[in-house]
Formats: sequence, structure tokens, C-alpha cells
Amino acid sequence: MALWNKNLWCVLSKVAQNVPATCVAPCNRLIHSSPPAAIQAEVSKPEGRTTCTLIPGDGVGPELVHSVQEVFKAAGVPVDFEPFFFSEVNPTLSATLEQVTNSITKNGICLKGVLASPDYSNVGELQTLNMKLRRSLDLYANVVHVKSLPGVKSRHQNIDTIIIREMTEGEYSALEHESVKGVVECLKVVTRTKSQRIAKFAFDYATKTGRKKVTAVHKANIMKLGDGLFLKSCQDIAKLYPKIEFEAMIVDNCTMQMVSSPHQFDVMVLPNLYGNILDNLACGLVGGAGVVGGASYSPECVVFEPGARHTFAQAVGKNVANPTAMLLCAAKMLNHVNLRFYGDMLRGAIDKVLKGGKVRTKDLGGQSTTKEFTYAVINNLR
Amino acid sequence: MATKLGTKAFSLLKYSSPQNVTRMLSQAAPAPFDIQHSNPFAKKVDAVPVAKYGGRHTITMLPGGGIGPEMMTYVREVFRYAGVPVDFEVIQIDQKSESDEDLEYAITSIRRNGVGIKGNIETGSARPGVMSRNVGLRNELDLFVNVLHAKSHPGINSRHRDIDVFIVRQNTEGEYAMLEHESVPGVVESMKVITDENSARVARYAFEFARKNGRKKVTTVHKANIMKLSDGLFLEVSKQMSKEYPEIQHSDMIIDNTCMQLVSNPHQFDVINTTNLYGSIVSNVVCGLIGGAGLFSGRNYGDHYAVFEPGTRNTGTAIAGKNIANPIAMLQASVDMLHHLGHTQHAKMIDDAIYKTVNEDRIHTPDLGGQATSIDVVQNIIKYLQQSTRKINWQDTRSSTFY
Repeated sequence: MALWNKNLWCVLSKVAQNVPATCVAPCNRLIHSSPPAAIQAEVSKPEGRTTCTLIPGDGVGPELVHSVQEVFKAAGVPVDFEPFFFSEVNPTLSATLEQVTNSITKNGICLKGVLASPDYSNVGELQTLNMKLRRSLDLYANVVHVKSLPGVKSRHQNIDTIIIREMTEGEYSALEHESVKGVVECLKVVTRTKSQRIAKFAFDYATKTGRKKVTAVHKANIMKLGDGLFLKSCQDIAKLYPKIEFEAMIVDNCTMQMVSSPHQFDVMVLPNLYGNILDNLACGLVGGAGVVGGASYSPECVVFEPGARHTFAQAVGKNVANPTAMLLCAAKMLNHVNLRFYGDMLRGAIDKVLKGGKVRTKDLGGQSTTKEFTYAVINNLR
Repeated sequence: MATKLGTKAFSLLKYSSPQNVTRMLSQAAPAPFDIQHSNPFAKKVDAVPVAKYGGRHTITMLPGGGIGPEMMTYVREVFRYAGVPVDFEVIQIDQKSESDEDLEYAITSIRRNGVGIKGNIETGSARPGVMSRNVGLRNELDLFVNVLHAKSHPGINSRHRDIDVFIVRQNTEGEYAMLEHESVPGVVESMKVITDENSARVARYAFEFARKNGRKKVTTVHKANIMKLSDGLFLEVSKQMSKEYPEIQHSDMIIDNTCMQLVSNPHQFDVINTTNLYGSIVSNVVCGLIGGAGLFSGRNYGDHYAVFEPGTRNTGTAIAGKNIANPIAMLQASVDMLHHLGHTQHAKMIDDAIYKTVNEDRIHTPDLGGQATSIDVVQNIIKYLQQSTRKINWQDTRSSTFY
């Protein structure tokens, strides 16, 4: 009898979890008869399907993306993928930039592995494929949430910093020329519009995620006009956010602070190159390229990609890469498209696996394979 | 003639002379940002970019007092089921506090988000120095025009049927200028301010609106027979403006007559263009005719900002917390907001669900003569939303502003 009771209770509680709020609400009304409380269904789980552009990328990208697809299948996530092979190092097989941008504009979301950028150019072009993609979609804000993961040993614990990087101008303008033989000039372009735009993005992101402080990182003591403009723009925008503390820090000092006392940082906003460096530095602090997810925003679309851009080409086919970063990206993506229910489920499963510590890939000091990790996550889905 | 040429040559000379670069930098015109934020009334300058990232908007939500907070939870609930890509920044304004700190923060928030949705905010203090918070918000953001669409619902019993009137109202000056003083003990003067510029902006809006929405007629409502200068100016400006829109019929009507006509023969009106106080009266009359305070939404527009709210500005303190307030007005305001943001598909989905609930299922709250609770109405709307989203692919609902 006790067992039967227990089973019944399980079934009932499951029903209560799964039924949409329409069915739950009448009970609610009885319980909260005095104040008409909000209808209770905490997480959003709308019906219908979502399409997502998928760019596996180079190196271990395809393996990681496969891991995401496996998990999505197991969790029954209502997302369809639209895959594109897109690569700079393998131009013959690659889809065209136009195909990819059209797909992303249509879908608004994209899950992307890392694209390898060669140090030299065959065709004398200065822009890499990554830069072209960002330019054409106007993906100007890169957000990397650097957060210590449970069960991952690292130098510092409880790091929780959001690094926001401008991605369309600055040092990455791809404007270089040899003015006189032996003298190369590389232009760093800073504009007020784009600086204000990224500053506003940072403050809005801080507001949305309930953060208290924004730190602008610059080198205005040396580049008085260029970085000066960036700093001034950030200060201007900061006036609109009286409840968020604003401070400025010079980039060299910032890197030192980041490794010695990273807990002082909350949200950071940086120009292009500094952002890239700080991203990688911070990722290293919490466990390396395999465990940090990121996203790049334009006004209209988002590309979710790992936080530190490392293709890990030496591990291709060895089944050793850590899929955590990609899975975190996928969870972020689900949260972004109102599928919070699945996003939280995935996030919870990843945390559980990492916390358990039994299944760890090589980069975190374990012996497990990519597949084993993926299956561990699937087994921990609620 | 010669002197004129001379001055011209001199002014040209001034520009051709070499200038010190640093001096030019220091004398450079202030950035649009500086202009706008040192002087909120400056117009025609670049707005701060709206908070829209990756297709998701952030919107300022001011729940206000009375039934406001309840209504806002319904809006969020409905948005969640409709998969609307909108996040809210909720700002509570302390009704009892004498300081304007909360209000200022709310205004700043709307400034950076570009769009807000609000309930009615009570002004706790009756001291003359404390300005009404609703009026303060509109003035600070320069939301010069208020639009209310009064359209009959076929499922609601009312005195008149098939009414479809737009009321375009000046929102920042006129009787609401808040300039009152007691010149001699026992004599209070209250100023009504009408400006050429603001009247022109409202008239321009009314006619543009009529043209864009295929409306035939604009009626300017005034009291120029008594207030010959102030309302006279408003009327004159509207008449001037009407000349630029020959395809739209323009007429004018005196406010007292308008009220009578509205209750006896409301079908003669199409778009009503009017000053602040008259607009308030006229919109309440029309809303009362076809269903009351709980059904209609109002939109406030400025050059850069838009704020959406229930059409008749009542707080509903008496029915707060009783689960009987009509949620349609606030939901309708959220639909207006979605249209403004370009999420037309989502807006249509919610609008259809509201329409079916009110007119087909006839689930009405007590203010419409029904027995249903607020939650019943919201539940029914959600039921329709679930039906319409079951087979949807969310990519098809993306706003088409980008491509």
C-alpha cells in the first residue's frame, strides 16, 4: 500500500510538473483565493519548433556539435538544425558566406564551432572568414560569461565575470598597408557610434542580469584619441545607469588584476583586441577553452560560440575534446529563444556531471572520452 | 548691395583661413548625445540606440499602483506563452514617497530602452509642489501625442455598435501645463499653454496617421469660440495642416457639441484631433460608450520614445487584489507595444486570442456584466495561444524589419 501510494504520488507530481498552466490554474485559484497570484508555471516552454543554423567549424568542432545534437535528441528539445560546413582552411568544401548569412538572418540564432584562421593569406585578403561573418551580420558584441564550474579545479574559485568585447572595429579593421618599404601601418579605428553602442550593450546586459558594476578597459593613457574616445563614450553612457557602478581600468593593469584578484570584476567592456586577450586569459583561469561558452550579438541575431577560440586541431578524431563549452552555448541558445525549460534542464545536467567528478575529459584531468561525457550528460537530464 | 556682397566675402574668408586643429576640436559642436541629455526637449537629434540585441528587446515596465502589478503579471504570462522575444526591466515607483527619485530612474530607464509599458502611477502627495507622476513622465520624455483606438467589440453589450474612432490628443501642454498660482487670496489662476509647434506636431501626427491607415476624416475638437487665442491657435494650425492632406476631409467641432454628438451619433467620427484636457474627456466618453475602462489601450509617442498604457487612466485601487479587474486593457497595450516593436506576428496572435475570448467565448469580467475572474480571462487567452503556437515555427514570426 505504501509503495502504491508512493507511485501514485510520483505520477501525480509528474503530472503537476508537465501539464501546461491551463490545467494547473484552477487549483491555484483555490489555494490563493485571497490575492490573485500570478498563474504559476515558472519556466517558459512554448509550443512550436525553432530552427537554428549550425556551423560545426574546424578542428574538433564537428565532434562537439554532434554531442549537442545527441543531447538535444535525448532531451526532446524542439529545435531543428540547419547545418552548414563553413571553413576558411578548406575553401573548396565550404558553403558561401552568403548562404550562411542568409540562414542566420532568417533564423536569428546560430550555434557555431571555432573557425581556424591561418596566419597567412593565399589570396592576399586581410579579412578572415570570421571577420567577414561578423561584418556582414554586424555581430558587434561578444559576451563571454566566465564562471567557475563546480568540480573543476582551478587557481581561483567562484569567479563570475562577464566580458563584453566590441568585435567590428578597433585593431580588427583589416586596414593594413606598407606605406614605405619595410614600414607597415595597421589602422586601429575607433568610432563614437560603435563605442557608445558597445557601452550601452554592456550596461543593458548588466541591468538585465542584475549586475552591479561595469569596468571599461582601455589604454587611453597611450592612445589618447582612439582609446580616449572609447573611454569617453563609456563614461557618457554610464550616466544613463545611475544604479550601476562604473569604473575604468588600463588594460595592462587589468590583466594583472585578472590573474591576481579576479573577483573584483563584474561586467567588463573592452575594445576588440583587449577583449580577445582578456577572454582567453579569463577562460584559462576557470579551466580552459573547453568549458567556457560565449555569444556574439547583433541587433537582430545571435551566434553562440565557445568563449575561447581554439580549434584543438591536434585532437581531431581522438574523441578526447571537452564538449562542455558547446553544451553551455546550446543551453544559452535555448534560454535566448524562450525555451528556458530545456535550457535549465541542460545546464543542470552539465553541472551535475561536473560536480560528480566521475566523468571528466582529459583537459580537466580525467580519462573520459567526449562520448562518455555526452552520455553522462544525457543520463543526468531530468 | 555692395555691403551685402562684402559681408558675404568676409564670411567666406573666415572659413578659408587656416585653423588650429586643437582649437577646432575644443570648439566642436557637442555630440548629439550631449545635446539630448542636457536638454531633453531638444528635438531632431539622434536617439540613443534602443535596447535590442539578438532580436530580443528590453522594455521598461512600470507596474504602477492599484491593479497595475496584477495586470503586469498577466502580460508576462501571456508573453511567455506567445513566445515573445521581449524582456522586461521592472521598476517600482514608491507611491508614498515625496521625492521624485524613483520617477527619475524610471524615466532614465525608458530613455535607454526606448519603449515602456506602464500601469497608472498614483501621486501620493497632494502638495502643490509635487507634480503628477504620469504627467511628469510624459513631459520629461516629451511624449507629445496620445493615441487611443476606440473600437467596438461585437461580443460586448453596449449602447452603440460598430464604433471605430481614433482619438489623437496633445499630451504635454494645454491645461496640463501645471502652472497655477493664487494671485490674490481667493483667486487662483491656472494657465493653459498652447504652442504653435506642439499643435503642429499633433496635427501632423493626426493627418499622417489618417493617411497611413486609410482614414477619411479628421475632426479637430476645440473651444475656439471662447478661448479665441489659445484654442484658436490650435484650430488654425490644424486647418493649415489639413491643406497638405487634400485627400483627407477636415472638419472642426466645439467640445461641448462633440460630447453630445459622441453619445448620440458617434459614427460620424473617424480621427479626432484635440488638445490635452478635451482629449482626456472625449476618450473617456467614448470608452464609456462601448465598454468601459477595462478594454482600451493608449499609446504615447514622442520623437524617440513610446510608452503604452491602458487607455483610460484609472488606477483601479478599489478592485486591486480581488481578481476581478479586466486584464484586456493592459494586454491590448502590450499588443500595441509589439506592433511598435515590429513583432507583428506575435501581436496578431495575442490580438486574435483576446478577440476570441471577448467576442466568441464571451468570457467577461464583472465590469462588462460577466461573472469571470481576471485569471479566467487570461487562461482562456492562453488556451488560444497554445492552440495557435502548436504547429508554429518560431522563425516565421521574426520581425521583418531587418530584411
